[in-house]
Amino acid sequence: MAGQMVMELKYDRSLHDKEFPAGPFEVTKQQVRAFAKSVGETNPVFLDETAARDAGYRNVAAPPTFCTLLIDGLALPDIGLKFGRLQAQAGSRVRLLATVVAGDHLTASSRLKDVYPKTGRSGAMVFCLWEHTFRNQDGQVVAEITQSFARRE
Amino acid sequence: MTLLSFDEVELGDEIGPVETEATDEAVLAFCRAWGGMHRIPNRFTDPKIARENGQAEPIVPGVMALAMMSRVLTEWAGVGSIKDLDAVFRQPVPHNQSITIAGTIIDTRREDGENLVECDVLMTGTQGERFVTAKAVLALPSQAHA
Repeated sequence: MAGQMVMELKYDRSLHDKEFPAGPFEVTKQQVRAFAKSVGETNPVFLDETAARDAGYRNVAAPPTFCTLLIDGLALPDIGLKFGRLQAQAGSRVRLLATVVAGDHLTASSRLKDVYPKTGRSGAMVFCLWEHTFRNQDGQVVAEITQSFARRE
Repeated sequence: MTLLSFDEVELGDEIGPVETEATDEAVLAFCRAWGGMHRIPNRFTDPKIARENGQAEPIVPGVMALAMMSRVLTEWAGVGSIKDLDAVFRQPVPHNQSITIAGTIIDTRREDGENLVECDVLMTGTQGERFVTAKAVLALPSQAHA
């Protein structure tokens, strides 16, 4: 198949069977507002507590992709991949199931989903996929996020 | 605010295009909001650190580009409308350059009691660079609930 390559990948395969929990993380008004402003959000439900309450939220609502900010703080293990030095984000899928609001306490559960090689115009790469499920303090799933990273030489 | 309703949307309708930009200041503000794990300066804010990480210059973080895309979708369809946003980061997104975000409706359907709109979304540069491509599914209110 085009783009596929035969490569013996060396990494810690035992991680596939493990779940990595993290949190709770308190969602603060300050972080929600700072995030919203930095990406140009102007809807007052993301910025103003009164407007958010008038719209039916308990507090300022977090913009949809807020949980992606938390992923780098999940302290995930190094998978020990013996390939490449440079890493960049290749993709991100965010499935949203409930709105996060300031004051929520979120927990995360992460799993290593896949590690696979591919070749592109820039040469060989190895993709690592992690899946993260975020829940609020009521146990409700608020977001399911899949992130892929490409490692290259 | 008047909400867009499902009955107003048709296949082929366009979202945007919206011209925007991620300035150095905005990326710095984003990294500050990102939290303590992203010390500043970092590869997204500092040219030297970017070069050490194989980049010609600091770029816009992927999660920031994703958030900019979600902003445009939310401005079009309303808060809480995004159900699924699936993005591929195809090229580094530069700072301080005009970026266009646009979408096209490719499907509308009623599913499990929801009015769903599916769209292709693109983040492009002034030279036609396709920085980020995405598919999104949005839930819209019906006319009766608008």
